[in-house]
Amino acid sequence: MSVTEYDVVIIGAGVAGLTAGALLAERGFKVALVTQGEPTACLSTGCIDVCSRGSSPLSGIHDLPPEHPYHLVSEKIIRDALNYFQAAMTDMGIPYAGGAEENRFILSALGTLKTSCLVPSTMKEAPQDTKDSVHIITFKGLKDFYPGYIISRRRNTKSSVYDAGVYSTMSIASHFEEKEFFEKFIIWLEKLNIDEDKLAFPAVLGLESASEIVDTVSILIGKPVFEIPTIPPSMPGRRLFNGLKGYFHKKGGTLYWAWPVAGIEKTGKVIEAVTTPSEGRPNSINAKAFILSTGSFVGGGLTATRESIIENVFHLPVHISGPRETWFDSDYFSLNHGIGRAGIIADSTLRPAGSSWENIFVCGGILADTEILKNGCGHGLALATAHAAALSCAEYLSR
Amino acid sequence: MIKTDVIIIGGGATGCGIARDLALRGIPHCLVEKGDFAAGATGACHGLLHSGGRYAVTDPVAARECYEENLILRKIGRKCVEQTGGLFVRLPGDSKRFREVFLRGCEEVGIPAEVISSTRALDLVPNLNPEIEEAIKVPDCSIDPFRLCMLNIRSSELRGGIVYTRHKVTEILKSHGRCIGIKAIDQSTGDTREIRGNIIVNATGAWANMIATLAGSEVPMTLVKGSLVITNHRLTNMVINRLRHPSDGDIIVPNEAVCLAGTTALPIDDPDNLITESSEVDTMISEAGKMIPHFNNTRIIRAFSGVRPLLKSKKADSHEISRGFQIINHKNGMYSIVGGKLSTFRLMAEKMVDTIMASFNLKKPCETAEIPLEGQEELSGYPLAKRLSNMKGIVCECELVTRQEVERIIKQTATRNVGDIQHRTRLGMGPCQGGFCTFRALGIMNDMSVISPEQSMKMLRGFLQRRYKGIRPALWGDQLREEQLVEYIYLGILAMEKPE
Repeated sequence: MSVTEYDVVIIGAGVAGLTAGALLAERGFKVALVTQGEPTACLSTGCIDVCSRGSSPLSGIHDLPPEHPYHLVSEKIIRDALNYFQAAMTDMGIPYAGGAEENRFILSALGTLKTSCLVPSTMKEAPQDTKDSVHIITFKGLKDFYPGYIISRRRNTKSSVYDAGVYSTMSIASHFEEKEFFEKFIIWLEKLNIDEDKLAFPAVLGLESASEIVDTVSILIGKPVFEIPTIPPSMPGRRLFNGLKGYFHKKGGTLYWAWPVAGIEKTGKVIEAVTTPSEGRPNSINAKAFILSTGSFVGGGLTATRESIIENVFHLPVHISGPRETWFDSDYFSLNHGIGRAGIIADSTLRPAGSSWENIFVCGGILADTEILKNGCGHGLALATAHAAALSCAEYLSR
Repeated sequence: MIKTDVIIIGGGATGCGIARDLALRGIPHCLVEKGDFAAGATGACHGLLHSGGRYAVTDPVAARECYEENLILRKIGRKCVEQTGGLFVRLPGDSKRFREVFLRGCEEVGIPAEVISSTRALDLVPNLNPEIEEAIKVPDCSIDPFRLCMLNIRSSELRGGIVYTRHKVTEILKSHGRCIGIKAIDQSTGDTREIRGNIIVNATGAWANMIATLAGSEVPMTLVKGSLVITNHRLTNMVINRLRHPSDGDIIVPNEAVCLAGTTALPIDDPDNLITESSEVDTMISEAGKMIPHFNNTRIIRAFSGVRPLLKSKKADSHEISRGFQIINHKNGMYSIVGGKLSTFRLMAEKMVDTIMASFNLKKPCETAEIPLEGQEELSGYPLAKRLSNMKGIVCECELVTRQEVERIIKQTATRNVGDIQHRTRLGMGPCQGGFCTFRALGIMNDMSVISPEQSMKMLRGFLQRRYKGIRPALWGDQLREEQLVEYIYLGILAMEKPE
């Protein structure tokens, strides 16, 4: 068996895993991050929702039920986590607007105002109410964006269609990074003589350099410009992932791609290694500590069977709302689905509660009682708990 | 106002079959349906064209009708019937005595039934439980109920028949105690339409008593809910039945790329409020899993329920109530046709139209058993070969439906209802159950100005609620994972708010 030795192995390359990895790597630990593939962050809006329930993110967190995992993390750590994220992403050329003090809106592709906290700079000019008139540029054949939905709520909205010659989110985005395409597009755009207050695009304005593209369009047209996140595939989600991944590499972490964990090795109360199937014989990575950040069902951290819910890597005990009938409320829109509470309960050191493992730390969407959609707390909770888990893990490693 | 001879209420297989029969006998008619074709029990069944075997023991009259109709439909509906053949499998512990009674029943009715060994059965259907004792081969087939309705309607429209779908009958007009017409409301525009006729045929299945009540009559019925599950792939190429007394979860039918398994039988009161329970889903999966073990770990994409409109009976076990049909003459110009089953729809239509002809004193005989269904070539759905020929602009990745195809249906049918597109293209019928493509289809309808932006939003909400009802009882494994993603998209990324 081929064996490699690390201080920490992180399982899952989402916002939580990459953040915990960068933090530990910059403290000088030898960090490996293993992932099955792209994280659900790539499907997301790229925005960091911290807690959308209250007037401010922090007061919203304060009012969450006592079992919510945010309460495992101090307010200082939450602030530190958001600041760290903003600095890291600025460093990677993907600046974020906003701060822990207040929530702000982005415009959704259905025309609703979606509450978030830290937003990519390409969305910072999104209207904060229904007053601003908006002109939407959309693209011929783009199947995942329909301005009609936005017009249904904002009557002061117009739209124009540009034929980019390509039809998917990804290919339009990569064309925007080409000088010739961009110049031709600007000539077309200038001829529209737009009257509306603001100019909006589905989020296809480049992959690497979206914030510069948005700024350039804004300067050339003389109007505020913003992006509207689309349903997956999502460019802002991919930019978020690329940024965090780049930062993790920059801090010296090692990423093992296409490395699904299939088994574990253990002695007593300590996990010693994780293994993955490979041709001939299994590969194994040894470490002193493990961080589980595999996400919930979509991410692949949890699997539901007809009778129960399983945590896929360490088979940790999973907190569930009750039998299958309780997982989904009869009202689709209620946001009170029992399944939203399923996950791993962690103690104050971010270790799985009720298990005897000393060297497993848990963070992100796999935690129990998050109710991410109801509370609007996806990536924010991932950042905060990743910080707490990384600190706890660092303390354990330094013992 | 429209004047015709016969008004048919109900666009299920029976109503559409009556329209075709009337058309072939030259009788002017108008069919009114509150939803799309096959919206009731016709579309909510297995899609099984019975060999009659299922009823050979309990209901020989229905069994004989089924077998005769099976032969006719295979002949006239080549393109909408798949001649799969069927097996009745006997599992360890299943009564040997029932096998004898079954074989005798088939012989008396005249259904070809061949006993085959378990080895031979496994050769025919490799996914079968290898523990089966033996199997009996019968000529069961699978049939596409929606396409069947469309083809029958085609014959009617070619001969001047008038058809209104998405029109709900709100009033039966009467004069001197006789029914003289109806008023129906166009569900998309809200306009009311008045249609006058000499005879009204109530072919509304589970809704028959509601319509009869509008005319001051009644239809005594027992409504029995039957639930089914759909797998995301085709586990068998033959219909698989359990060789035992009719019971829950005893049949699996292959249909296009999927399999349907069912059913249950629970008495209900309101056909408009059907809920499939998780426990029914569990029963069907574990029963189907006894015949085809893969059922236990195959992705279930949806569960649904239909209502069998059975004739009123005192029998406690609804599996035992006769599947025969009956024509009720309300003696006021209205007839109700109730009971029966999909397999015998043509026969029901024939008898109904015979009655109408007699009342008109006309003699032209029925020809629906001889003349093949017209338009089968064009109306044979949207076959895979066609879908694979154009991979550009796919809007439904699960079923390979293109924007071009969606636009074609919108132009052709002038529909304002996304369900009509789904029925005609299979858009949204795959594993994600329209999670992605319905957002797109409604966006396209709005782009083409057939619906307003406000309507597209409203329909998207309505669709999500209907969709959820179908998948909720079957959420675990990959289907739950996909559902969590779809919920994240609509309620998270798109921040869709709770409807008022």
